[in-house]
Amino acid sequence: MRRSLLLAQPVRCWRMKDNLRLYSSAHMSANRLQQLKSHIFPENKIRVMASPLTTHVLNTAKGVPVANIALSLHRLDHSTETWLLINAGHTNADGRFPGLITKQEFLCGVYKLRFETARYWESMGEPSFYPYAEIVFTISDPDQKYHIPLLLSQYSYSTYRGS
Amino acid sequence: MMTSERSPLTTRVLNISDGVPAARVSLSLHRLDSQLKLWNMLNLGMTDEDGRCPGLISREAFLPGMYKLRFETGAYWTSLERDSFYPYAEVVFTVTDSMHNIHLPLLMSCYSYSTYMGS
Repeated sequence: MRRSLLLAQPVRCWRMKDNLRLYSSAHMSANRLQQLKSHIFPENKIRVMASPLTTHVLNTAKGVPVANIALSLHRLDHSTETWLLINAGHTNADGRFPGLITKQEFLCGVYKLRFETARYWESMGEPSFYPYAEIVFTISDPDQKYHIPLLLSQYSYSTYRGS
Repeated sequence: MMTSERSPLTTRVLNISDGVPAARVSLSLHRLDSQLKLWNMLNLGMTDEDGRCPGLISREAFLPGMYKLRFETGAYWTSLERDSFYPYAEVVFTVTDSMHNIHLPLLMSCYSYSTYMGS
């Protein structure tokens, strides 16, 4: 424990982890509190900015989220007419993919979200009509939030722009 | 390219914002060459006043494989002087031996689209 840092302010309790939240701004400034938190919980850096682009994959046949479906996000490079991979992974148990893109990477342009739908249905032991679903969309204002869900069954899919 | 018999693959594009068929939407049909991993364009057309595009493919040419129908949705909304979220919509689907007639509609608005397999 870095005592010298702690004693720079009038901190009253030894057990910082338990009592940190009891201190109001009357005792400690918000900046100071944040600083202490990052020393005590270094592995838990608080992600201040959520991804400006989110998705949610839903199985409309069963009424459940689609967990563990592989997906990838790409941006079109207009000069070479090729797709640049930005991120790839799998949805979580809730059918979501946090941290899809950072605010810095989220530029104006044409993007593609590709969902490996046939692999998902195969893992459920079911046939399907589509080998994958690709949604290509245009981001003209990266300051906005964009939510791009995919509602999926074996023989249909739909998408819309949410926020 | 018109065929005398009805195409085993049909489509219909619907403008669900206005509740009308989407006329004059350019579209193209492609089949994947599984060895070369390239898309071969089979036909190019445009929806009629009813949002349909007859004669997409002949029964003889409709072999099992992976196909793609690409709809130029962005150009359609631009012709109506509206912004839209999608520059185009591509639907990639698998045709197996057991399929006889496939109807692949596209229901769209400026900020959504959906598709399903009908017959």
